[in-house]
Amino acid sequence: MAEMNVVPLIDILLVLLIIFMVITPLTPKGLETLLPRPNSDTVDRKTDALTVVVQVAQGGKIKINNENTDLDRLGPRMEQIFKDRAEKVAFVKGDNDVVFMDVARAIDVLRGSGIDKIGLISGLH
Amino acid sequence: MAYKPTVGAQMSSPNVIPMADIMLVLLIIFMVVTPMLTKGVSVDMVTANTPRDMQDADKDDAVIVAVTRDGKIYLGNTNIQKEDITGQVKDRLANRLDKTVYVRSDARAKYGDVVAVVDEIRSAGVDQLGLLTERRQNRETPPPPPNGQPST
Repeated sequence: MAEMNVVPLIDILLVLLIIFMVITPLTPKGLETLLPRPNSDTVDRKTDALTVVVQVAQGGKIKINNENTDLDRLGPRMEQIFKDRAEKVAFVKGDNDVVFMDVARAIDVLRGSGIDKIGLISGLH
Repeated sequence: MAYKPTVGAQMSSPNVIPMADIMLVLLIIFMVVTPMLTKGVSVDMVTANTPRDMQDADKDDAVIVAVTRDGKIYLGNTNIQKEDITGQVKDRLANRLDKTVYVRSDARAKYGDVVAVVDEIRSAGVDQLGLLTERRQNRETPPPPPNGQPST
C-alpha cells in the first residue's frame, strides 16, 4: 500500500458534482411585471397619449397599439419606439384563448428590448 | 486503477467502504431533494431568454399561485377556487413588506385563465407580480404547440 487509493475519493467527488449540477438550475427565474390598478390605469391612458399597449392575439399575431407586427419584429420596433423615452413602460394585454406561452414570449421580448416596467392589463377594462 | 491484481485468498472479502460512502452521499442527496420535489405542483413553465433571478420565490413563505394546463389553480400545494384567491393571498401578505406574488403558470394554459387569476391577485392589493419561468436551454426548437392550436 505504498500509493494512496484515490478511487473512493473520485467516486464521492463525482457524486457531489452531480448534486451541484442538479441543484444549481433550481434557482427560480422569472419575468417581473406590474399590476396597475384599473382606475390609475384609465387615468394613465387618458393623460398619456404615448402609452404603448402590446396586444397578443391568436396565432402569434401581435399588435402594438394598432400596428400589426409579430414576435420577431416586436423587439426592434419596441427599441425604436422607446429609444428617446425616459420612462420605459409598456402594457401587455392578451386574448383569452391565447396560450400563456405566447404572452410570456412577448413579455420576454419586451424585457429584452429594455423595457423595465411591464404592466399586465386584463381584457375587462 | 490503483488496485493491485492480487491472487486467491488475499481478496477473499470485497471492499465495501467505497460503496458505503456512495450510499451515504446518495442518502444525503435524497434528504435534500425530497422537500424540493413536493414544493408546489408541477407545471411546464415557459422558457425565457431574459429572466431575472427571483431568489425570494424560493423562500418558504413566498406566495406562489400555480395555474395548470387545464385551468386549475393552486396556492402553494392546495387546490383553491378562483373566488378564494383574493382572500387567501391577502391573509398571507398581511404582515409583509414585500408584497410580491409569484405566478407559476403552465406554458399551455389559456391566457384567459391566467388573467382571471391575475385579476384576483390584483384585487388583493398586489402590484408586483413575478411570472416564474425556466431558464432557456440551448435549443432553438420551441416546445410543441398544444392540441388543436397550431401556433403559426
